[in-house]
Amino acid sequence: MGKMMKRGAVFAAAVTAAAVLTGCGGSAPKAPEGQKLSGQTIRFVASNHTYTDAIKSLIPEFEKKTGIKVKMESYFEDQLTQKLTVELTSGSSTIDVFMTRPLQEGRLFSKNKWYEPLSPYVTDTKKTPADWKWNDFQKSAVEATTLNGNLYAVPIVTEWETLFYRKDLFAQAGLQPPKTLAELEAAAKQLNDPANGVYGIVSRGQRGAAVTQFSSYLYAHGGDFLKGGECVIDTPEAVKAIQYYGKILHDYGPPGVTNMSWPQAQALMASGKVAMWTDASTLLPGLLDPQKSKVADKIGIAMFPGGSAGQHPYMVVPWAVSISAQSKQKEAAWEFVKWLSSEEVMKKAQLAGNTTTRNAIWNDKDVLAKLHPGMADVAKQTGAIAVPYDRPVMTAVVEARDAIGDVIVKSIETGGTADIAGLAKAAVAQVNELLAKSGE
Amino acid sequence: MKQKKHMDYLWYGLVLLVAIPFIFPLAWIVLASFKTQAQIVTTPPLWVFTPTLENYQSVFVDQQFGKFLWNSSVIAVGSTLLSLIIGLPAAYTISRYKQKVLGVFILLARLMPGIAYLIPWFILFTKLGMVDTYTALIASHMLVGLPFIVWIMVNYFDGLPHELVEAAQVDGCTLQSAFLKIVLPLSVPGILTASTLSFLFSWNNFMFSLVLSSDRTKTLPIAIYNFVSYAEVSWGSVMAAAVVIILPAIVLTMAFQRYVIKGLTAGAVKG
Amino acid sequence: MERFIERNIKWLFPLPAAVFIVSMMAFPVAYTIWVSLTDWSMTSSSAVQFVGLKNYIALFNDPRFFNAVKLTLYFTGLAVSVETVLGVGIALILNREFKGKNFVKGILLLPMVATPVAIGLAWTLFYEPTIGLGNYALQLLGLPASKWLASNTSVIPALAIVDIWEWTPMVALIVLAGLAALPHDPYEAAMVDGANTWQVFRYITLPLLSPTILVAVVLRGIDAFKTFDIIYTMTAGGPGFASETLNIYAYNLGFGYFKFGAASSALVALLALVLGGSLLVLWMRRTWEQ
Repeated sequence: MGKMMKRGAVFAAAVTAAAVLTGCGGSAPKAPEGQKLSGQTIRFVASNHTYTDAIKSLIPEFEKKTGIKVKMESYFEDQLTQKLTVELTSGSSTIDVFMTRPLQEGRLFSKNKWYEPLSPYVTDTKKTPADWKWNDFQKSAVEATTLNGNLYAVPIVTEWETLFYRKDLFAQAGLQPPKTLAELEAAAKQLNDPANGVYGIVSRGQRGAAVTQFSSYLYAHGGDFLKGGECVIDTPEAVKAIQYYGKILHDYGPPGVTNMSWPQAQALMASGKVAMWTDASTLLPGLLDPQKSKVADKIGIAMFPGGSAGQHPYMVVPWAVSISAQSKQKEAAWEFVKWLSSEEVMKKAQLAGNTTTRNAIWNDKDVLAKLHPGMADVAKQTGAIAVPYDRPVMTAVVEARDAIGDVIVKSIETGGTADIAGLAKAAVAQVNELLAKSGE
Repeated sequence: MKQKKHMDYLWYGLVLLVAIPFIFPLAWIVLASFKTQAQIVTTPPLWVFTPTLENYQSVFVDQQFGKFLWNSSVIAVGSTLLSLIIGLPAAYTISRYKQKVLGVFILLARLMPGIAYLIPWFILFTKLGMVDTYTALIASHMLVGLPFIVWIMVNYFDGLPHELVEAAQVDGCTLQSAFLKIVLPLSVPGILTASTLSFLFSWNNFMFSLVLSSDRTKTLPIAIYNFVSYAEVSWGSVMAAAVVIILPAIVLTMAFQRYVIKGLTAGAVKG
Repeated sequence: MERFIERNIKWLFPLPAAVFIVSMMAFPVAYTIWVSLTDWSMTSSSAVQFVGLKNYIALFNDPRFFNAVKLTLYFTGLAVSVETVLGVGIALILNREFKGKNFVKGILLLPMVATPVAIGLAWTLFYEPTIGLGNYALQLLGLPASKWLASNTSVIPALAIVDIWEWTPMVALIVLAGLAALPHDPYEAAMVDGANTWQVFRYITLPLLSPTILVAVVLRGIDAFKTFDIIYTMTAGGPGFASETLNIYAYNLGFGYFKFGAASSALVALLALVLGGSLLVLWMRRTWEQ
């Protein structure tokens, strides 16, 4: 009994202290709410991501502060989509909070009403005190998680396609980071030295996974996935892009590229076996961690090069957090979402190598000091010219990615010499059929 | 005589040549599970190295394989026991009364590709709110175990003399108590064969758990698959996890070797 | 009560098993057939409708389906034929009494009982083109490196090697049991006639053994046809669709794209192939025995 009293007293003191420190006036309604939510356990289904890695060890702080217990489990991205779809279809899922990919799942999940609409939460000052600073989120990021005027997730991470390169190898060869795709190819050719175990370039080659990292190559050639509700992956520009991607990976890429998603490509780059890697900027931490990377001190990053149609890397919100519409503990879930995307936590995530969605963080002194050289510049410059999607944005995106990805695989297998135009035409027919079926 | 000895050596060499390819990959998994990442990616491969327990620590502490070990055990034991309870009586009457239709029906279940059930099960179990429960997983694994048990036991009961049961009936035993008191005790070797195999099928099952299990009931095959697709880089932990999964299966197989061989080759030789 | 059970034992005993099989197997299969006649898809905007044979027409117009059928047959044929030849060979070698025979048999069992998912992952490491043992072994033998799982020409053989490693022992053990059950008389007669080893094998052992071998081939064929675990964990059907067998194809349709109608039609086709194939083999065996 005495012990309980004591714990209660400490808790109350902590709440008061927190209220005083943050200077928030809402301490009166907040205290009973904290008690009400204390003791609840929420289930958080996450993706295997550097953001998750960064916040995992911080969760006990949240639990201590609110009394809410968090049960976290994490999956690789495609498995996560599958897991979520399977569970949410049942209509009786026990998931409270989950990480979601707006471009991949946004439409499908919205259509099935699996997201709890969050607009009422962020606008309600009782649920969301002003000091959480919803307005500080990047506008483009918020747009990315809003569909038909409804906010369905809080964006946490942004990423863009970037070029990782080996500073030492470039210096040895007297090369500068390529600014154009022609230079990229030339550098890949020059640095490709399989006899000594170094390949010129790697990028994703696995069927569905390849599509997103191919997208910046596509835009640089003047191509696109969809236009006016139709798939346009068979235009001459798009075909050229597919041929180019296939050629560089076939001629100067490591063996086995057609089975590679980012973990495999990252492993190769980290083990010093490739000179360049084009992929999402968020994968940088894995290259800089001396425990995982042999070349941690030799990694440079540069903007994604331009092509005949200019420089158009994608910049997207790959991950956001949502509350399940089926959750029975939405209040506790919202507390967790708020905490997960609070400035304090986000800053820690950013310091651990993530690229996050709050403006304040990008101006934070600690963050700027710790950013990888060139990162802030690349982020700023890319943001100004970026394309806001990296895949065909549609409901049946998984199948569409497979159809387009297969053309990319064939191109890599043949070094771009297969009948890409014909294959692309077939893919267009498939994608258009999918669009028609889902009424898009 | 001398020549025969030479032939013997030659022949033993041949046996070695046969056995090594089958044991080598497994031995390699065990070796790799004690290596650091750097040691694993080294070419040519290292044969001598300072072993590390780090991988096992990561498997049990970070990945909490203890829990999955428990889940897998519950589901494998549960599905085997239940399959025995409903399978043994069925096998007995199928054998005794030549219930051919039923026999063929159960054989059909043995032939059927498991993936054919996935969609309806998924829909059924979600409607019942039973996804991610032991019940759903045990029931699904039983569909592999039960036909197998019946299949083996029908063959086994066929070989038992009916006279024993008839004699017991003359002594006033009912058929069912004769089954319990006479037939089953005589069938222990067959039951061991059938249940070992049923346990192994469940232990190794991946497809059903992939769709029907989640956080609460995640089994070992799913657990290793889940952490692999992410931690692709950490081969050492993957190999340690593989050892954790494979070892119980191997120990069980070694303990019941005779029965496992009988089970796997069942029905093949009789023709 | 006791009397009642005894009198009705014929149907009381098998009842629970029959009910279980019907509800867990027959009902799902019937349901799958029903779903295969609808356009049920999670990505579709319209309500679920009965569409007759539309999914089947779409299936037979889908190049991925034929690709999958072809790959499934290729994988099964390759794996089972190699397993049969190797398995019979190993059984002939082991077919005598020697010290440690049980130990060797025990070793042969291990690949069969080791969890396929774990085995698949281990082989993925062996096949890794730059750090894997596979290319190291080829290099030792003076052979050019292979891309193993990463090339559309080598992926099926590479997967088949894993199946061969796992299941050759089963053929060997079945044949070994068959050899032990062979009659002695023909061999004695052959000895008297002065037949050589090859002649004995060709004209006595092989004919006597063929029913056993056939059973082994059928059992393996059915299981190889249904292979899912190792393919799903090692390639998930890639590169491109170069290892997308029927099982993987149906799974992708169902749980990748959530097109339950289309996936069900693929499953019904798969079922028809498995059952049709099994019946054909049973029928062949019967006519052949007569």
